[in-house]
This record gives sequence, C-alpha cells and structure tokens, in this order.
Amino acid sequence: MAKPAVILVGADKGGVGKTTVARTLLDYFSAHQMPTRAFDTESPRGTLKRFHPEVTEVVDVTSVPDQMKIFDTLSSSQAWVTVIDVRAGLLSSTLQALSDIGFLDSAKKGQISFSVFHILGPSIASLDEIAETARFVGDASYFLVKNFINNTTFFEWNPETYNSYFKRIKGAIEITIPKLNEMACEQVEVAAVPFVTFVANRTMSGEPANNSFVLRGYVRHWLGHVWAEYDRAKLIDKIMPPVESGQIRQAAG
Amino acid sequence: MPLRSSVTIVASPRPRVGKTLLARLLVDFHLHEGNPVSGFDLNAGDETLTQFLPAHAAPAAIGDIKGQMALFDRLIVDDGVAKVVDLGHQSFAPFFALANQIGFVEEANRHGIAIAILFVLTPDASSIEAYGSLDKRFPAALLSPVHNEILGPAHHRAKYPIGPRGLMLRIPLLAPVLRKYVERPPFSFADDSEAVCDIRADLQIELEHWLRRVHIEFRELALRTLLADLRSSIRISS
Repeated sequence: MAKPAVILVGADKGGVGKTTVARTLLDYFSAHQMPTRAFDTESPRGTLKRFHPEVTEVVDVTSVPDQMKIFDTLSSSQAWVTVIDVRAGLLSSTLQALSDIGFLDSAKKGQISFSVFHILGPSIASLDEIAETARFVGDASYFLVKNFINNTTFFEWNPETYNSYFKRIKGAIEITIPKLNEMACEQVEVAAVPFVTFVANRTMSGEPANNSFVLRGYVRHWLGHVWAEYDRAKLIDKIMPPVESGQIRQAAG
Repeated sequence: MPLRSSVTIVASPRPRVGKTLLARLLVDFHLHEGNPVSGFDLNAGDETLTQFLPAHAAPAAIGDIKGQMALFDRLIVDDGVAKVVDLGHQSFAPFFALANQIGFVEEANRHGIAIAILFVLTPDASSIEAYGSLDKRFPAALLSPVHNEILGPAHHRAKYPIGPRGLMLRIPLLAPVLRKYVERPPFSFADDSEAVCDIRADLQIELEHWLRRVHIEFRELALRTLLADLRSSIRISS
C-alpha cells in the first residue's frame, strides 16, 4: 500500500484563495479516483466543508485531540490523500506544531508523503512568508501558488526579489491559478457545490441543476487550466508513486 | 419526420457578403414551412436582421457576460425552435472563441441540437484561414460553405480546405431590379406584405422562382443535417 499523503494548503495572509485551491485539489483527486479526505481548520465553521461536506471535517488544528484525529489516523484511514486547509495566519504555527509532534521527521524518513501548497498574496509580505515557511519544509514537496482567480496583480514583486526567495527552497514548484470570470465564481459560491458538480449541472444531492451553460463553460475551461497546472507539476507522482493511470478525464465528462 | 432542434450560424469574417440576406432567407424559410423560429442579430450597431424581421429576430451581443448568457443559454435550449444567428463580421472572432471555450457545439449535441455553420466564401486569405480554423475547432458542427452568386464565380473555392462534410450551399443570383425591393425593410420573403404587392407581376414570378431555388438548397441542407445526425448516432452506438 502507498504511504499516506498529506497536503497542507495555507498562507499567512487571509483572502488569497486557500480554500479555492483546496477545492480544486479535492476535485482533481476525485477525478483521478484517489480516495481523499479533508480537514478544514476554520473552526468552528468551515468554508471548505460547505463545498465538500462528505469528505471534510472541521477541526481546530491547534488542539491536541484534533491533531490526533488528523495525524494518528493517517495509516488507518481509507483515504490515500489528506488535504488540510489551514486557516489564515496559521501556516507557520501549524508547521511548528507538525515539527513538535514529530510529523516532519516522519516525512523526512519517508514514512509519510508531505506537500505544502503555499498560496501567495500580492504583497511583499508574502515573500517574507516564503522565508518563514522554508525553515520547516525540508524534504516536502513545496508548491508556491500564484492565485489570479480574483484578478490579483502581483504588483509589488520585483522578479529578482521573488526569485531570490523562490530559490531558497530546493525543488520548489510554481503553480499559477488563472483568473475565473467573477460571475461564474460567484455562481459556484451560491450553488455551494464542488466545481465539477457545477460543471455537470448538478445539485449537491445529484439532482439536475439550472446553472447557466455559459458560466459552466467558463468554470470547465478554468478548471481544465488549473488541472493542467497540477499535471504539469506532476502532482500525483510527487505525492505518491504512480497509480494505475487510466485516461485523465475531462471536468464535464 | 420532424427534424431535431437546430442552430444555424451565418458567418464570415468579411462585411457585405450577404450574411444578413441569408439569415433572413433562413428565418423566412422556417416561417414559410410553419416552423417556430428565432433570429439573433449579432451585427454591432447595424441591426438589419431585426429591421427586416422585428417579430422574429432580436439584437444580441457578446461583449459582456450577461449578453453571452442571454445568447448562448437560449441557443442551448432544446425547445423545438429553429434558431438562426446572423453573425456580423465584427463578432466573428469573439463568437467562435467563446463558443470554443465554453464547449458550445459539444453541449448542443448532448442536448440533441444540431449546429450548422454557413460560411460565405470570399477570395481573401483571412477568410480561407478562418474557414480552416472553424473546420478544425468544431468537428461536430456541420460546416457548410456558401457561394453567394452575387459575389461572382467561386473560383476561389479550390483554395478552401473543404472536406467531405462541406457540401456547397448556393444563393442564386437575384436580378438587380428585384434587389431594390428585397433590400428595403420591412420586406419579407415569407408573407404577402405590401412590399411584395408593389412588385410588378412578372418580377414577382421571377422572385418566386428564385426563392424556390433557395428553398431547395435549404431543404438539402436540412437533409444533410439529418444525415450528419444519423452518422453521429451510428458512431456513438457502435
């Protein structure tokens, strides 16, 4: 059996699209038929759980019982992949906690596959976060995500400065999330379903929905680009050895 | 046998090649046949289809997402209404780029709606390239080249990458004396309007002959759409 994979999705700033990225990951693994569970650390109420209620549990990652719930069950869980959507501002402290409980050591020994999706904001503060996070990452797969979904412009970044930070983490991989049309984005929020469910024009319970064909088309196109980024980054190969791979499917079937 | 719902897009990247005339003829053909039909006028600032057919055509725009939704969400409905899009040359590139992006033809096929693109042939290189691009991007649509005889002989046809599915639709040459009548709104080919009554009897007969030839072309087009459907359903079931 493949070793369990843990993906931490986080940033030290709020509003940079952590949960959006976590949602695309859950859709991606689902499309690859990889059993996945998720933890939403926006306790007591979680945004991720609203979109993926069946696989998501809301936890307080700073509490020991909830840490046990996540990490003591990695081997026994049916899920191959555990995605943790880390609440804004808690990325560094979560990594510190993982270090304290010996999780990072287990990852270093190869007992667990560990990846970090670090969602960058537009400000120079985000670059400082890279330096802060780099202390913990070690041998983990480290993905630096530039999220343009809300038409963010990374205006404060000087490319040379960015590269100097980027290169501090050995093997860091850059991922770009393209912009999604505002109305399409808003309608998926209103529908409160996974992106693939919206594209398939279904409700959460699987009933036919009445979503605009144009908006579904925009979401399908956008999700296709996001997944192409994950394919380019060889995400699945990074987090676990190659699985029996069939044809990679289209978002809308 | 009733044909399934259809969307016919009259297109060319060039202005003044007879797109609106063809769109009007199509709408009037459906009215003549007693079929429900809606026209969509995508001529920016020059809504001639709407002027000729105010009861059966409406302006459309794809410059913003609301306009895109109003148009494509309507085109994709399988309601038994034949839909004709008069695609102005300025909307040509953005329309097909959007259609490609949102998977319009594939979604239409899933809904049982046939998509036909009637492309008016002209000798310029940009049109030849645009035709080839449509052929590649929309293999599930019926791409039909159109020879509008008023534009002269179709010697340039050989330059077009017209495949086996691209059978030519012809718009016969209309006598110049009749053009002054048919090109003035609200002339309709489908009814006995005042405008038609104004035409001399011998010219009315000529117009009827011309219209009959046009309708034969449209019936062949409908037949081709049906055959393309059958081929596609055979491919799906095999």
